[in-house]
Amino acid sequence: MMLLERIGAYFQIVLHLASDPLNILILLSSVMLGIMFGAMPGLTSTLGVALLTALTYGMDTATAMLCLLAIYVGGTYGGSYASILINIPGTAASAATALDGYPLACKGEAGRAIGLTTTSSAIGTIISMLFLVSISPLISFFALQFTSFEFFLLAFFGILISGTLTSPDLVIKGWISGFLGLFLACVGRDLLQFYPRFTFGVSELDSGIEVVPVLIGAFGIPQIIQVLKEQFQIGEAQKLQRILPEFGTIVRNIPRIIRSALIGVGIGSVPGIGEDIAAWVSYGAAKNTSKHPETFGKGEIKAVLCTEVANNACVGGAMIPLLNLGIPGSPPAAMLLGALMLHGVTPGPMITFEHPTFIMEVAAILLLASLSMWVVGMLLAKQVVKVLRIPAPLFMPIIGLLCIIGSYSLGMNIWNLYLMLPVGIVSYFLIEMGYPIAPLVIGVILGPMADENLRRALMVSQGSFMPVFTRPVSLILFLVIVWTVVSQFPAYRRFKDKLLEKIFRRKSRKADIDVDLPEEG
Amino acid sequence: MIAKEKLRKADAFSGIVIFLFGAWIVWQATKMPMKDSWGGVQNVWFVSPALFPLFVGAMIMLLGLLLVRTALKTIGVKAVNDTLQWLFSKKLLQFLNTIPILRFYAIAVLFLSFVYLNIPRIDFFLSAVLFLSVFITMFYFDDAVLLKKLFFFYLAGTVFFTFYFAVGLEGFISRVLPFAKDILALCFIFGYCFYAWRLIRHGPQLRKKYRTGLIIAIVAPFTVGLIFKYFLLVPMPSEGLVVAILDAIWYFEF
Repeated sequence: MMLLERIGAYFQIVLHLASDPLNILILLSSVMLGIMFGAMPGLTSTLGVALLTALTYGMDTATAMLCLLAIYVGGTYGGSYASILINIPGTAASAATALDGYPLACKGEAGRAIGLTTTSSAIGTIISMLFLVSISPLISFFALQFTSFEFFLLAFFGILISGTLTSPDLVIKGWISGFLGLFLACVGRDLLQFYPRFTFGVSELDSGIEVVPVLIGAFGIPQIIQVLKEQFQIGEAQKLQRILPEFGTIVRNIPRIIRSALIGVGIGSVPGIGEDIAAWVSYGAAKNTSKHPETFGKGEIKAVLCTEVANNACVGGAMIPLLNLGIPGSPPAAMLLGALMLHGVTPGPMITFEHPTFIMEVAAILLLASLSMWVVGMLLAKQVVKVLRIPAPLFMPIIGLLCIIGSYSLGMNIWNLYLMLPVGIVSYFLIEMGYPIAPLVIGVILGPMADENLRRALMVSQGSFMPVFTRPVSLILFLVIVWTVVSQFPAYRRFKDKLLEKIFRRKSRKADIDVDLPEEG
Repeated sequence: MIAKEKLRKADAFSGIVIFLFGAWIVWQATKMPMKDSWGGVQNVWFVSPALFPLFVGAMIMLLGLLLVRTALKTIGVKAVNDTLQWLFSKKLLQFLNTIPILRFYAIAVLFLSFVYLNIPRIDFFLSAVLFLSVFITMFYFDDAVLLKKLFFFYLAGTVFFTFYFAVGLEGFISRVLPFAKDILALCFIFGYCFYAWRLIRHGPQLRKKYRTGLIIAIVAPFTVGLIFKYFLLVPMPSEGLVVAILDAIWYFEF
């Protein structure tokens, strides 16, 4: 009965949102904008969400979320256009799509590939939305049992795992990036005693470092510098034929779609890891389970399908920890967290009490956004592809201007600009030296949560760390953190290899004896 | 991202910088109240505001050291010595004179001057038009010689504006001429555009790029600025000559 009530309430929200023509207009235009951001190499969905946050400042929360989630969904899908047509991933999320998408376009099947990515991206988003609705109450229920120790460990785990999995070079660099983010979060008056930390008497720093300018600086400025410094050139696009929804291919590949969606949701719900990893894992899984792995990389339609389902399923997956624990599941989700805070919504276990229908609203928006994305993709793909012809030196300076006005307009504080630029320049150097930026941003966001909960927990336990070992969830989190750290050291790997070798040797010896015994007998 | 071997050399140095940064955080944190009274509250170590920064600083120090160790293990001390020699040789100057580095300077100078010099002082629309016209023309022409010339022209203008505001000429001149800084900025925009035109006037392809670039440099700030100023009601960081004209038009009762 309760389930039916929930389903009824959900469709009521969907109908309510869809019945307003203004909402539909915002939805379609935001999806379109998102697709453009995704399609243009050098621009990302994170940057799209970051820049649009400033414009949504004056809107009510539901409309702002409609706008931002539509950009996120559209941006994640839009990357496939550049991947398929010019063999340059529009976003990191669609890098895996390029492997088979471009060979398909070279064979004259670009329309078929884009049709398939459109349908599979919509399916991926819808499946992840189902997970968001069904898993959220469970996670919320468990999260309500969490105490400060669990929240501290969870925040710490989020930063560590994000550093571990997003680092393009050494894992240490990912962790350093995360801790630099935690340092930035320390700046300002502390939340428990109001003591000014690292403010050096500058009153503008008292309230701490604003998340949104840091996000805009960290994701926007390095992108502009990289594209213009490296003289990034877009190649000639392949011809785009008629776009077909490819329902037949979809029906024939239902098991693959479900597997890819599960990978997408699973990876999306791990803090700080983006759609790119989901797409690669899904690609790997599809290749490993295929009867003809040799066709992968040569225009295999199943590969395109699996990567696109997985990267879009990440969107809903990233919403699960964001809404229930206040921990962003991906970089664009981190941006959404910033936007939610601006609108006075604090995601976390209490969200179901403070805003009872909020998760339902987000799920309804995801459904509408995926449908809009499908419609826009099917009808306007040929028009959207035209943005690929705009040279980077024309649009990148405009993005720079938007970064600046966007950072300023949030709080109308020029200090945000003074902060955004150094963060951007430092981020550029960090990226050049192989440091990932996502952990830094996650660190800035989760820093206050980690700091406050660590001290609160120690206050309750009077300075004792014993509750970490006596509370089951804390203990599990602690062990996972220790394993995450230890497993990165070569000594651990050597020890593990030796141990496995010993076990297998013993097993094979036992098997030899078992085989020998009857002969002796 | 730079190549693997170069990356390890850079890691050895960045590791040291990160270690020192961590040490600085720890040093700053030790100045925070650990057991003293703050705001009438007697502190204990586990509630102290220093606890978290100490933890973060110590971890940054440790990770910085680990990074240095990993880098040295891979490339050896000799490679670090070679890099140090390179840093103090003429090769560094040659590297700093390469075109990609010049492009980086150009972007950095443009952003720094726009954010720290122009936006707080000059009318937003004018500073945005200046920013975009310089930015687009410098990179859209896709010519290293033109980039160098245009960059140095802009740099000279920036030095002039820095001097103008630092010395306090603005206060003196604005008493005689209202919107003096905006008029100066307008003159600089015209001067820059004229200089760019002189450089490219013989190439039809470049002339086309010049026209497109300037149209975008004017249309984009007015589109974005008008949305923020009159629809989202965000006051511009600095409102001067153009905003005064726009206000007069916007609030004029037709």
